[in-house]
Amino acid sequence: MKRLLVYLFPLILFTNISFAIIEIDITEGNREPLPLAISEFFHDNNPEIIDKKITENIRTVISDDLERSGLFSSIDDKAFIQNNRAMHLKPRFADWRLIKAQGLLTGELTIEDDRLRVEFRLWDTFAEKEIEGLVLITTIDNWRRISHMIADKIYERLTGEEGYFDTRIVYVAEEGPKNKRIKKLAIMDQDGANHKFLTSGKELVLTPRFNPVRQEITYLSYFKNLPRVYLLNIQTGIQEVVGDFPGMTFAPRFSPDGGKIIMSLAREGNSDLYVMDLTNRVVERLTDSPAIDTSPSYSPDGKKITFNSDRGGSQQIYVMDSNGRNQKRISKEGGNYATPVWSPRGDLIAFTKFYQGQYFIGVMRTDGSGERLLTENWYQEAPSWSSNGRVLIFYRETKANDAGDGHSSSIWSIDLTGFNERKIITPVDASDPSWSKLIQ
Amino acid sequence: MRISVVGSVSLHLFILLFTIVSLPLFNNDELEMPPVIQVELIEIAEKTNVPQISKKKEDKKPEKKNKKEEQKLNQPIQKPKEEKSNEKVKDPSTEEKIENKKIEEKMIQNMPVRKPEIKKKDKFDPLKLAELIDKQKDTKQTNPEDIVEKDYEALDSTPSLDKRLTLSEEDAIRAQFMQCWSIPLGIPYDKTMIVKIKIFLNTDGSLLKPPEVVQHERMNKPGEKYFRTLAESALRAVRRCDPIKAPEAERYDNWKNLQLNFDPREILRG
Repeated sequence: MKRLLVYLFPLILFTNISFAIIEIDITEGNREPLPLAISEFFHDNNPEIIDKKITENIRTVISDDLERSGLFSSIDDKAFIQNNRAMHLKPRFADWRLIKAQGLLTGELTIEDDRLRVEFRLWDTFAEKEIEGLVLITTIDNWRRISHMIADKIYERLTGEEGYFDTRIVYVAEEGPKNKRIKKLAIMDQDGANHKFLTSGKELVLTPRFNPVRQEITYLSYFKNLPRVYLLNIQTGIQEVVGDFPGMTFAPRFSPDGGKIIMSLAREGNSDLYVMDLTNRVVERLTDSPAIDTSPSYSPDGKKITFNSDRGGSQQIYVMDSNGRNQKRISKEGGNYATPVWSPRGDLIAFTKFYQGQYFIGVMRTDGSGERLLTENWYQEAPSWSSNGRVLIFYRETKANDAGDGHSSSIWSIDLTGFNERKIITPVDASDPSWSKLIQ
Repeated sequence: MRISVVGSVSLHLFILLFTIVSLPLFNNDELEMPPVIQVELIEIAEKTNVPQISKKKEDKKPEKKNKKEEQKLNQPIQKPKEEKSNEKVKDPSTEEKIENKKIEEKMIQNMPVRKPEIKKKDKFDPLKLAELIDKQKDTKQTNPEDIVEKDYEALDSTPSLDKRLTLSEEDAIRAQFMQCWSIPLGIPYDKTMIVKIKIFLNTDGSLLKPPEVVQHERMNKPGEKYFRTLAESALRAVRRCDPIKAPEAERYDNWKNLQLNFDPREILRG
């Protein structure tokens, strides 16, 4: 046996050397958005679908969602070579490759018992196979949400990451001159559709934040000239004050399980962080420093809290355990920091930074390392994460001229990479946005 | 006396003459200089044919502005000025309730079932022993944490010099796949995010058989959806580039089997 091994060893060695495969490293690629062909969904000439232009609308919403992500581009349907119903069963892949489509979406619409049945399939044109397929059934008027859900499925299948299109944004809608601004709560889909005002504008409202698990918002409103934290159920419209504190409460935010609200309570010029359990209304004090501690935000596992404090002489970002222990400053670079928000992925903290007369939106790791500034402007702040931790929204103000005109504020979104900065269109000026999780 | 004087003088003269003749100080011959050799200093190019050894790079430093020394700023962050309202708070009326219409969701039942392709068993080919050995090596790397560290091992499996591609051939092939590969930029950075694909080519540069993902089993593992996305994008790139503009057919043996390492880590790191 030993002898056999001795004979075989040089043979194996020789074979390995002679037939070793050549390796080529590909470390760069095409960063252009992935071209997709999104076809209109076929149907049996249903008059209701034709009247309401549902097939065109669904295609537009899906296409706009995916294009806005900056990761996909939608090929003009005039370039389509195949455009018949057979493609929903078996596309002619060569035709789609010819127009450089790397993915193809096909679908069918039917109305059964006054309910819309939407069936879609996503095809990989190069692998020549179907990679996603689903049937969704809803009321006919709910076609827009269906479209967002399909866009989410496509995004997830092609990026490996949960989509964020079937989400809403709540924000402070602003109208009127700068010294007499009317501020209302408003809510809309992430693409600006289905816009609604939630408050009348008689009371000043600030810092609305979504509950991560329920259709609920917490925000700050004024009562007897004092800021108070409120809860508002979006579905029922019922509103309530959170606790009755002897001072001003502000900067509220939900815990990841939606069961607690963490906020700042100010008394006699000092503000500290408190957490309230919403089930039994028990309040616990988390910080006790003579400085201003504010803007708390939980980590997604609920074990840590990041917040903003000026205890060291300037506004900086701190991290502590959820019981208030192990408080540690993490911001290390120059400048002042505010509004830290923990990413839903858990790996990053987004913040606003003021440095050398400019405002930045940036991200850093949870230990303060790897700070990256994504965007710079005259005035911008209050970042809020998309549900998948891939995109940030924030608001930006324009500078008024000497006469006081020209001031405006609007919501913007930016990709985590610092690219794909886009303005989100709102009917009036907008500030302080908060992005919901995927609607359940 | 006279004899001794003459003897002394002649002896002194002899010593003097001997000194002049023998010592180099008094030799007037010029020194022979060696011929001047010109030496030209050249820089070694960054790319050579030496196999690359990847090393761990330190985290990129933050942007230029952050490198500047911390400057204390007296000006605090301005918070938006709010107007104070003296009015009593009434319950904000939500005039329109937002209906959260439930949507039924179910998998398409009548999806065409794709039959698994049954490959004909090839006859035993002793030349494929090498591939089996390579595969064995890859299965050893199932722990993705080791991938970066094991790059040094590439040295051991480097093909012999006559089996290599020239730099220009390698660059030409690389450029084609770079053009065909749409990087899935949504993937978060992870040091194990590298996909190795083996391709087998005909003499005209077309695919002889479907490309193979080296860590194929990782594509279907739960929690590896980012790897699956990356592998699918790489497979699309290979098929999109089919056929590649191949190097000379005379050197077919050198490029008929290639391993493409799709490595977006530096890009994803940002």
